[in-house]
Amino acid sequence: MILLYLDPGSGSFLIQLLIAAIAGLSIAFGANWSKLKRRFGKKKKTETDDDDDDEQDPGT
Amino acid sequence: MMTTTNKTQVHNASFRDPSGFLFERDGVLYRQVNQVYAEEYTRLMDSGLYARLVKVGLLVAHTESDPSTGSGQAIESADKNLAFRVLYPERVPFISYPYEWSFGQLKDAALATLSIQKRALKLGMSLKDASAYNIQYQKGKPTLIDTLSFESYKEGEPWVAYRQFCQHFLAPLALMAYRDVRLSQLLRVYIDGIPLDLASALLPARTRWNLGLVTHIHLHASAQKRYADVTVSEARGKRKMSKEALLALIESLRVTVRKLEWKPAGTEWADYYTANNYTDAAFEHKKVLVGDWLSRIEAKTVWDLGANTGLFGRVAAETGANVISSDIDPAAVEVNYRLVKEKKEENLLPLVLDLTNPSPAIGWNNSERDSFLQRGPADATLALALVHHLAISNNVPLVRVAEFFAACGEWLIVEFVPKSDAQVKKLFRSRLDIFSEYTQAGFEKAFGERYTMVESSAVRDSERWLYLMRRK
Repeated sequence: MILLYLDPGSGSFLIQLLIAAIAGLSIAFGANWSKLKRRFGKKKKTETDDDDDDEQDPGT
Repeated sequence: MMTTTNKTQVHNASFRDPSGFLFERDGVLYRQVNQVYAEEYTRLMDSGLYARLVKVGLLVAHTESDPSTGSGQAIESADKNLAFRVLYPERVPFISYPYEWSFGQLKDAALATLSIQKRALKLGMSLKDASAYNIQYQKGKPTLIDTLSFESYKEGEPWVAYRQFCQHFLAPLALMAYRDVRLSQLLRVYIDGIPLDLASALLPARTRWNLGLVTHIHLHASAQKRYADVTVSEARGKRKMSKEALLALIESLRVTVRKLEWKPAGTEWADYYTANNYTDAAFEHKKVLVGDWLSRIEAKTVWDLGANTGLFGRVAAETGANVISSDIDPAAVEVNYRLVKEKKEENLLPLVLDLTNPSPAIGWNNSERDSFLQRGPADATLALALVHHLAISNNVPLVRVAEFFAACGEWLIVEFVPKSDAQVKKLFRSRLDIFSEYTQAGFEKAFGERYTMVESSAVRDSERWLYLMRRK
């Protein structure tokens, strides 16, 4: 067990496990959906930072 | 605000995290890294995470050498028994707080936090807190200022800062987008973010149809209530969260935040510049006067109060000054912030501020977050088309208006708008004129108690006057 300086909250810990399961599914679906869109010619914006794939820098 | 011990002043908001603390010595800001955090700090620097985050402007840069000697010498610590290193971070020109941000500013700060977390996870680290107060606007962009916010990621562990992220960012953004943009002010009451049960109760029922909000806020609040008396280890048992699951959680938060929208429309100032008493000539003349005077006094910091969408603050920014551009109207501030982003402006910070009740000092011992005035003074204050609102709408005697501006800084550029002006006439439409002192002579007399008049000029094509004053 790691020691934490903030109380993460028991409910907050548990709900993460649940959400991650749901979110995992929807992202898998979302990723396939965007692959499908790309295949049919809809291009996504290219990322300037080589480190990051799909996200734009916030604040720009 | 700082607490003084000998010559070193420890920052009053820097006490929760044992990893280290901020202190000031001879007016220079430092961050001590404690021994207990040595391993994590070394990992941040050696993993390449620090360099990557600094490169994209998501983390404040620092050096480990003493700026006063300039010879690469280590900096003297503030507490030798605890110290591992002392950092000299780049200083943010003005510390602002989430209850002073427009919707877009809070949203971009939230997205920056998630972007940092995602990048950290790629390099084996994770954010151990997600406080909105750790994000500051630097060069127009949200930047993490707490270098000690990272810890090694341990496979199987959920995100420790998840609750804090929801309270500090997601809850206020959802309330602003779905209920009322003014609910950002709840952050002023709840310093550790909006309690999720409160957010859940205030959000409209239709937010339960939003997958992100029903999970991260509504279900999250229910789970908190249900497991309130259970310890973390009892609650989770042997359950683990894979890294993929954690990344999915971060992505879910990012999509949820990204979809939240609020558009500035229909508020009192949104169409101000098109529906007022000005002619173009008056407007241009005012810009020239403000620009000339600011250059002449060489103001490095300027507070443009009642700035609307920031037009005159931009005149100040063009002279090279660091500008705070504040307005009471969240729509005007949102428009202003969008302009900053669009034009990639680096030295103008829009803020939501009610001058009749400016941000107070809040938090532990009333000293964790500074009041607006404590964050001054500015070299120059701009009060354009503002005095009539304070004096007439808010019944503040002119001498007290002058007193407030004098507390903001040494120089003042102020506009007097007479009762015959259409904007002032509007204020009298529904009320009695009890303001016999509100004349140009009365204004000059009241301000003369605090200020020396350096220069004044009638504004071309109008009945308005502009003054350059210096505090006595």
